[in-house]
Amino acid sequence: MRLSIGRSYLVAPHCVKSSRLISSSSSKPQIPLFLRPPNHSIKLTDLHKWYNWAKTLNSSVGSSFVDTDNGPDSTLLNRELKWLVQDAVEDKSVSSELGNEIEQNPKLGLRNVRLKVGIEELYRLWKQRIDERRPFQYIVGCEHWRDLILSVEEGVLIPRPETEALVDLVGKVVLDNEALREGFWVDLGTGSGAIAIGICRILEGGARVIATDLSSIALAVAGYNVQRYGLQDLIELRQGSWYKPLQDVRGKLSGIISNPPYIPSDNIFGLQAEVGKHEPIVALDGGSNGMDDLIHLCDEAAVMLKPGGFFAFETNGEDQCKLLVNYMENNHKGRFCNLKIVSDFVGIPRFTTGFLKEAI
Amino acid sequence: MASANMLWNSAKILGFPVPLASNGRWARFGCTFRHHPFEGSFFFNLLRSNCSSSTANSVWNDKEYLALSDEELMRQCEMDTFKASGPGGQHRNKRESAVRLKHIPTGITAQAVEDRSQHKNRASALARLRALLALKVRNLVDLEDYSPPPELLQILPLKSTIRPPECGPQIGPNNSKFLPGMQALLDLISTVDGSVADTAKLLGLTTGALSRLILSDDALRMAVNDIRMSKGMKPLK
Ligand SMILES: C[S@@+](CC[C@H](N)C(=O)[O-])C[C@H]1O[C@@H](n2cnc3c(N)ncnc32)[C@H](O)[C@@H]1O
Repeated sequence: MRLSIGRSYLVAPHCVKSSRLISSSSSKPQIPLFLRPPNHSIKLTDLHKWYNWAKTLNSSVGSSFVDTDNGPDSTLLNRELKWLVQDAVEDKSVSSELGNEIEQNPKLGLRNVRLKVGIEELYRLWKQRIDERRPFQYIVGCEHWRDLILSVEEGVLIPRPETEALVDLVGKVVLDNEALREGFWVDLGTGSGAIAIGICRILEGGARVIATDLSSIALAVAGYNVQRYGLQDLIELRQGSWYKPLQDVRGKLSGIISNPPYIPSDNIFGLQAEVGKHEPIVALDGGSNGMDDLIHLCDEAAVMLKPGGFFAFETNGEDQCKLLVNYMENNHKGRFCNLKIVSDFVGIPRFTTGFLKEAI
Repeated sequence: MASANMLWNSAKILGFPVPLASNGRWARFGCTFRHHPFEGSFFFNLLRSNCSSSTANSVWNDKEYLALSDEELMRQCEMDTFKASGPGGQHRNKRESAVRLKHIPTGITAQAVEDRSQHKNRASALARLRALLALKVRNLVDLEDYSPPPELLQILPLKSTIRPPECGPQIGPNNSKFLPGMQALLDLISTVDGSVADTAKLLGLTTGALSRLILSDDALRMAVNDIRMSKGMKPLK
């Protein structure tokens, strides 16, 4: 894994908020549960006991999380519990046996099943899920995103389903304009590496992708995911603030994609506990109106893209999308073209996209 | 059990234009749909002989729905997402990612089982929609010098006397190529008014062999029985 460390971010204007600095950690990324060896063995009845205990915990939640901060209800928690079982067992048929089968045929319970985690740990993990609202994805150490399974852990943003569409947007752009399939594409603030890996696969090897982040943990996790998908020769990871580590490709980029922090600082406090208490603030807080980073990304896009180059940024919704389009039309008059607002899968205007004008 | 602040929300897909609900919306295909609600399914009878694509008033050939790419098919759909209120995106960690697709030209809806990724939900809803289109959308077949299309030949047992050897091994219900073959088979059965014996003759099979093929797949069996019952025949068992 290449990791060119751009020290320049230390003086970048976007790091002045001390809360956004994260201590660099040298620890190795964790292996997601589903990839661990099945080193534990247990009677199916004992697993069943744990499963019923966890379900009781889930029903005790009822709609209380929904009411406090729009968190998960018991239905959702039960679904997550099933996914945890899927990831923790070696033999996939166990999931269905834990349902009705074992109750109808108690003899089934005598057989041993192999687990990737000890039973005491399973009790501890589900307690964390409910008592601490620890995100499910940190518990299993992965998130299913598009057709990928990405490793995630504390310190790295869990990629969101809305963001999947950024990859489709890139796919559409290069279909219309094959020339853009080549050259350099960047994913700024790559987190788990989701976007970088997604676009690298959709560009089918034609382009070099550079993924950047300020966070060392994010880069370590992104590196792990890049390796797992065998893309280490096509995706380069660089540390630093936004465009700082990219000065060698200034004016040469075919595409700039980013999902930067965009939540207005005032909203951080009221976030769903899974997000506000567990995900890195540096991945979420976009300054007073949430647009500090987005504006910076737009300003520099004008000098970083090559003529005809494409950009797509995720935003907080309609207001930010419109503000960005207005900003680009007014502050960068005549530089960009084809500015568009694209909605996410639930119909919320979510992305601002466009092209740097071709030189005449 | 859904909490009160969630709702099904219709959305356009990725900014693709979705035609507005009005009667003229599919006029550009020059087709007319006859709507036969029958036990919850819809049959669209179209004359395939009218299908020459060069004429201005050519008939949209329904079979082409299955030939469309995922994106093209998606453009004919409205997507419903089980959506919670709120700003979404970075604010949120919740997986109500169920997806329901409504195919506007036919009104058929398909819902996906819930997967752990949104992308796969969409893919599985599309796969279900394709299966439903094959099962529910009927084209009238021209019986004069009928010769079965290759997709139908592929799903026939090898002992069919009209099946050329270059067709390869028989394709079964678990293969995605089974769908277009099944659609062609249902078109033929409905054109001969549900008669398994007549269909078998046209396909070079014994009635028994064709019955076994039909009974090998539950969805196919039910679709055949729907057709038979609509023509006043007894269902196959
Ligand atoms: C909302 S997260 C997006 C992560 C990932 N791209 C995704 O979509 O799942 C924003 C990312 O930007 C990174 N970030 C925040 N400030 C940054 C800066 N000044 N320069 C580079 N990356 C930054 C955070 O560490 C975080 O990984």
